[in-house]
Amino acid sequence: MDKNMKILVVDDFSTMRRIIKNLLRDLGFTNIQEADDGNTALPMLQNGDFDFVVTDWNMPGMQGIDLLREIRKDDNLAHLPVLMVTAEAKREQIIMAAQAGVNGYIVKPFTAVTLKEKLDKIFERIS
Amino acid sequence: MSDNAHDISLEQAKELVALLEDGKQQQANQLLEDVYNRRNDKLFTSVGQLTRDLHEALQDFQVDPRIVQMTQDDLPDAQNRLLYVIEKTEDAANRTMDAVEACLPLADEMHQRVEKVMPAWNRLMSNDIELNEFKSLCHQVDDVLKRCGENMPQVHGLMTEVLMAQDFQDITGQVIRRVIQLVEDVEKNLIELLKIFGKEEERRKAATSTPDKKNAGVAEGPIIDADQRDDVVGGQDEVDDLLSSLGF
Repeated sequence: MDKNMKILVVDDFSTMRRIIKNLLRDLGFTNIQEADDGNTALPMLQNGDFDFVVTDWNMPGMQGIDLLREIRKDDNLAHLPVLMVTAEAKREQIIMAAQAGVNGYIVKPFTAVTLKEKLDKIFERIS
Repeated sequence: MSDNAHDISLEQAKELVALLEDGKQQQANQLLEDVYNRRNDKLFTSVGQLTRDLHEALQDFQVDPRIVQMTQDDLPDAQNRLLYVIEKTEDAANRTMDAVEACLPLADEMHQRVEKVMPAWNRLMSNDIELNEFKSLCHQVDDVLKRCGENMPQVHGLMTEVLMAQDFQDITGQVIRRVIQLVEDVEKNLIELLKIFGKEEERRKAATSTPDKKNAGVAEGPIIDADQRDDVVGGQDEVDDLLSSLGF
């Protein structure tokens, strides 16, 4: 796993972005940027060479599930691995995210160990 | 629509004609007036009844004079209180993370210094060390002890900051409890209003209905009653099970 990969963390709460950033930094990732919803994230993804997206579901503006769908629709972004980290815990939603092409799904509250596990799994499958 | 008591009767009409034919104009006028007055009485009674009903409805409407105060003051106040809760919790989270982020490099630094000393230290412990190396080890250990002495009070201060940052719980707890109380009051008053103006069925619905939980794909936020619901997962393990059952 390339520790220099460029990661975008999308969450409307700055504290949650900070927690995820700290956890990722603990795992050795330092090239991290932030966005507060899908509408901010999408142009950043289209203009920047991101390697990985961590997104919340429930956000004002564009929600995480719609961001995921936009990413999968865009030929330049379709390959991007997307990890959802969200408090949304309905079975239908998890199935919906899977159908939309999510690479991993973590429900909040979560632990550092869970985050590491899912990251490892996602990049193991990709490589 | 014939109300015998108030409508003009055939007998009265015949009597009126007879009076007019006899040229008794005054008596005829009197008879007509009587009939007219009886009809007016009925109208007055109806208007009176309507007025009383309206008055009672208005009285009932003011079930709780607080309902006006609630919409004017309490609800905007509740919004401010909840915004305050968001502010306080965000502030606490940031204070905590500031302190933790300041602690982590101190911990890392100590770890690195100890790692650096360990090889020579291990040789000393197994009586396998040169005098020169011993001297330089002494300086290194001296360095570690000094840095440790400097860093630990700092870590202690930062940990105290983390501890103090948790004081939001008490304040936000009280604020949220007051907002819950207000929501209960508003609910009670709305049910009273429904009792007065609404149908029986609507009232029953209002008293027993719960928010619609079946909106499958709509974001709902944190689930606070997961153990009472069968449409949500109970944790990461269930998410993983569900995804693997889908071939993930």
